[in-house]
Amino acid sequence: MRDVLSPFLAWKNLFREPVSIADPLNREAAPRYRGFHKNDVSKCIGCGTCETICQNGAIDMVPVAGFEPKDGDSGLRPRIDYGRCCWCALCVDVCTTGSLTMSNAYKWIDADPDAFRFVPGVDAKSWDEAEDGYRRADGHHLTIRERVPMQELAPEVRVGGFDEIVAGYDVALAKLEADRCVSCGLCIAACPTHMSIPQYIEAVRDGDYRRGVRLLYETNPFSNTCGRVCTHVCETACALRNEGDPIAIRWLKRHIMDQVSQDEVREIIGAPAPATGRKIAIVGAGPAGLTAAFDLAKAGHAVTVFEAAEKPGGMLRYGIPEYRLPYDMLDRDIDAITSLGVEIRSDCRVGRDVAMAELHEGHDAVVLAIGLHVGRSLRMPGSEHPQVRKAVDLLRSIGEGMSFDVPRTAVVIGGGNVAMDIARSLARLQKLTHGEVKVTVTTRKEPGHIVADPEEVRECGEEGVVIAYARGPQRLVIEEDGRLTGLLTWRIVPKIDDKGRSATICDEGDAVVHPADMVVEATGQAADVGLLGEALTEELAWNRDRLAVDADGRTSLPWLWAVGDCINGPDVVHAVADGHRTAAAIERAFAETSIERTRPDARR
Amino acid sequence: MTAGADVLAATDPRPPIDLSSGKYLKLWQGPQHPGITGNMSIELTVCGDEVVEGKTHVGYLHRGFEKLMERRTFIQVFPIVCRVCVPEPDFNEYCYAAAIEELAGIEVPERARWIRTLILEMGRINSYLMYLGGQAGAFGLGVIGQWTTHVRDLMLDRFEEMTGARIYHMFILPGGVRDGLPDGFDRRMAETLREIERTMADVENVMFHNAVFKKRTRGVGVIPVDLVDTYGITGPNARAAGLPNDVRKDHPYLVYPELRFEPVIGHESDMYARADVRRRDLLVSIDLIRQILARMPRSGPTMSRLPNVLHWKIPRGETYVRGECSRGEYGYYVVTDGSGYPRRINVRGPSYTHAMALLEHLIPGTNISDVAALMVSLHTYPPEIER
Amino acid sequence: MRTLLARLKERFALGPITEQRPDLAFVTVERETLRPLLRHLRDAEGFTHLVLLTAVDWIEEGLFQLTWLVHDRRRARDIGLRVMVARDAPVMDAVHDLWPTAATYQRELKEMFGIDFPGSPRIDEEFILEGWVDIPPYRRDFDTLKFSEETFEHRAGRGTTDPATHMREHLGIQGGSK
Repeated sequence: MRDVLSPFLAWKNLFREPVSIADPLNREAAPRYRGFHKNDVSKCIGCGTCETICQNGAIDMVPVAGFEPKDGDSGLRPRIDYGRCCWCALCVDVCTTGSLTMSNAYKWIDADPDAFRFVPGVDAKSWDEAEDGYRRADGHHLTIRERVPMQELAPEVRVGGFDEIVAGYDVALAKLEADRCVSCGLCIAACPTHMSIPQYIEAVRDGDYRRGVRLLYETNPFSNTCGRVCTHVCETACALRNEGDPIAIRWLKRHIMDQVSQDEVREIIGAPAPATGRKIAIVGAGPAGLTAAFDLAKAGHAVTVFEAAEKPGGMLRYGIPEYRLPYDMLDRDIDAITSLGVEIRSDCRVGRDVAMAELHEGHDAVVLAIGLHVGRSLRMPGSEHPQVRKAVDLLRSIGEGMSFDVPRTAVVIGGGNVAMDIARSLARLQKLTHGEVKVTVTTRKEPGHIVADPEEVRECGEEGVVIAYARGPQRLVIEEDGRLTGLLTWRIVPKIDDKGRSATICDEGDAVVHPADMVVEATGQAADVGLLGEALTEELAWNRDRLAVDADGRTSLPWLWAVGDCINGPDVVHAVADGHRTAAAIERAFAETSIERTRPDARR
Repeated sequence: MTAGADVLAATDPRPPIDLSSGKYLKLWQGPQHPGITGNMSIELTVCGDEVVEGKTHVGYLHRGFEKLMERRTFIQVFPIVCRVCVPEPDFNEYCYAAAIEELAGIEVPERARWIRTLILEMGRINSYLMYLGGQAGAFGLGVIGQWTTHVRDLMLDRFEEMTGARIYHMFILPGGVRDGLPDGFDRRMAETLREIERTMADVENVMFHNAVFKKRTRGVGVIPVDLVDTYGITGPNARAAGLPNDVRKDHPYLVYPELRFEPVIGHESDMYARADVRRRDLLVSIDLIRQILARMPRSGPTMSRLPNVLHWKIPRGETYVRGECSRGEYGYYVVTDGSGYPRRINVRGPSYTHAMALLEHLIPGTNISDVAALMVSLHTYPPEIER
Repeated sequence: MRTLLARLKERFALGPITEQRPDLAFVTVERETLRPLLRHLRDAEGFTHLVLLTAVDWIEEGLFQLTWLVHDRRRARDIGLRVMVARDAPVMDAVHDLWPTAATYQRELKEMFGIDFPGSPRIDEEFILEGWVDIPPYRRDFDTLKFSEETFEHRAGRGTTDPATHMREHLGIQGGSK
């Protein structure tokens, strides 16, 4: 009986309120709802990782008006095709900047199907300002934000000598670090020599180090060097820096070189092209000159490099301390270059042992890569004192292994990487000779605004070097007996001048004497252009005190080229880029002219 | 286990069908939804109103998922797996994630394990609600479908607020789940569960204590218990035959070992028993959700650290991971080859056996009007046959 | 599981064994061993439930791997039997007489991988595909992307730009690797 009656209980619902939603068209979605996309285009860097992860192929990266490519931003923005999107939100999860999110809007009506292909954040939509919508939960992100830590010598150990500080990644750690890369390639444009960074990082992931070396040598014959001391502007363009640490690109480059023997490196580089009969003279065996030599020798030209110092390397050997770049690593890079038949004549100073005219006479092209080896002086009262030295000279002495009286207390003037190099070198020498570190660096800058790399500044402090910020050097303190005892500085105070420009003034009331047996000026360098001789100096066009060159590095004389620090200021990787550029330009120039027209002696 | 299958195959008692005799009629059921079982069709041969043979035909929903997965990186497979099965998509997410985690050696945070269990039970309730509507609908009891659709919608609201989506949640990532529970979720879930219980009381009265429903379902579509393993029958279809088969108990996964429940068992193994097992199992799920919400950790990570998913490679290996979905054993057989892509993924849905071999076996001798209901009573979803 | 495998080893020639989990092992066997072993597992060892039968295409090795997964519910464990068959002559013995459900799997494998199971019911009938003329689509050498590009028309208006290339072009970058 129950089975007959109980179904009639359904009738009780006659008196119930309807359960349907009264206004279904305007029903609000849940705050987490994965609705239509939003993109904060000023935050987006166009890395395209959203496109890479999209399993439906719904995202295109497209140029957008108002966004030009610049360092760390491709200028592209994602366009989403809602004909393909499945709203899985992996694009949001993987976004390297957090710019891409979703609103909780889910209703969009349009008669034109193409309207549903849009660039979020650029094509204005009603949900652009929506508060709610899908966001990554705290701690949920698909990129790996922390860099794999690098093993380094402890400060108290490293200050006791010139041993290399950075240990380098082992294979397992390098793979972990390489795994973080999203392969967007934004770094390539930032690198002065445009290395194939994502590709060689992929080679690390794959453990294919031979491929890695091949890729490195396509753009940089100084990879042992740059893997250690590069200014790594690539890392400041790295997509991952936006929400974490950039990839340790520099260390990964070094890791590749660390894994392959020198014999293998030479084998991978291979033999040069058949001889062309062209001859090129390069003045200066630093990174710029030797990079040009590498490219030109590979193309089959006969290259001779004239080097005034005892050994090749330029500033890499005589400017950068060994604890950052061990000499044997530099020697490896140079060995690979000479393996192509590049002849390096060391101890041969152009202008003394051989004249520019001779070089011009015997070669199809001459390249000046003379660097910046003359230290500039502030010319303060007392700066002609013998215990006032220039950083480049002192670093050169250390590089040459020459001994000098190590001061018990030293002051370094300057806030750049050269100041850090000499301060830390002196600290080591003091530790070795006197057992304690007494070095002060004075800089005009406020903390946080110093020019040197932050890691250099940090490591300086760890090694016991004191940095005195916002100090303007005034004069040297010299006793009546002629002894140098210190440096007088005034405090630098920031100020806005009458015209509203920011400037600085010195506060005489805040004077400090920094005790010193030696004061080192690390306040800029200049090129030694004396080798050109008077006639050539007259003949050439100049840009203030630098040689005037075109974009390819060609001077006003068609046979003479100038590259590297002496033209573009100090930086290894820029010097390498310069070397490549000029080598390519010389190649082009050769292609346009016959041997007879370029080389005066060819007629003989 | 007897060697029943061998005997079965050898001695088919049915007389041969001579179509030219004029006694038989061919009748197609489907492929439009016959009842609520998705797009498949049955080629019926009838004699009067008695069906003498039923041949199943599938192929209306093939999207080639298994092949598509081979073209996608391990993270890219994640958004498409749920689409294999519309009414209960979460098992795909769970089984895929669990298989990948096993092959890649990834531990899942405790909190994520509770949330996964919660999601799977929510999905089970929804699947049963849909089934009940379909089963009642097959007999013209349309009102049950209206009621269950309403409360299913409330559960979809809970899914929406937790996962950000109503049907395809894409919430169980390899490595964990995307997020914890939103504020106030427990309160709203408690309300939803109460509403479902109220509805289930009505369903019990109107559907299960209903002379018509009983008459149409009792003694119809009986699965002999000795065929359960022969035909690979799992889930409520097996439990209605008196076997306590339940993956949650047999191969405890996620946090099921920590929850109190007993597999729901029926005895008659007919359509009524299967419906009743599902009704009672739904109530068990409600209880399980209450247990989970009372005991789950509320803080801690929901995702473990994955390698960079853009170039994630998994060493060569193979495994099979199963779970108990509302229709029986759901499993993923995953083969990896050391590359960044799966070598092969095979989705093992219960419908594969229930809707084909078993259905073909059960159809002969039934009345035409019972075929749709019989099919529904096996609770099959054709999309997981074709994938 | 260990003792079971040891017991099986005494009676059957077993190839490589993978113990994936305490409750799951995969065993490679020769084609001739498969049927007797499956029958033994079913009738004597309690593996009464055929979970699945499927194939894996190891195209580089010229082999199809067939996997029969059987389940022993009482002891909560599974064994996967693997048989490698040559890709160029893909034939295997049917087991639908042991489990009638195997017929469906066998039919699917015939259609999707082109692996024949002589004697299996409706084996040559179309299963999922209709009017398929290409190679069996689940083989690795069937390219779904190529197929879709050739078969379907793509809506105009799409096109993407590679960030690194775009920067190279717009910043006038020469040199570097291409």
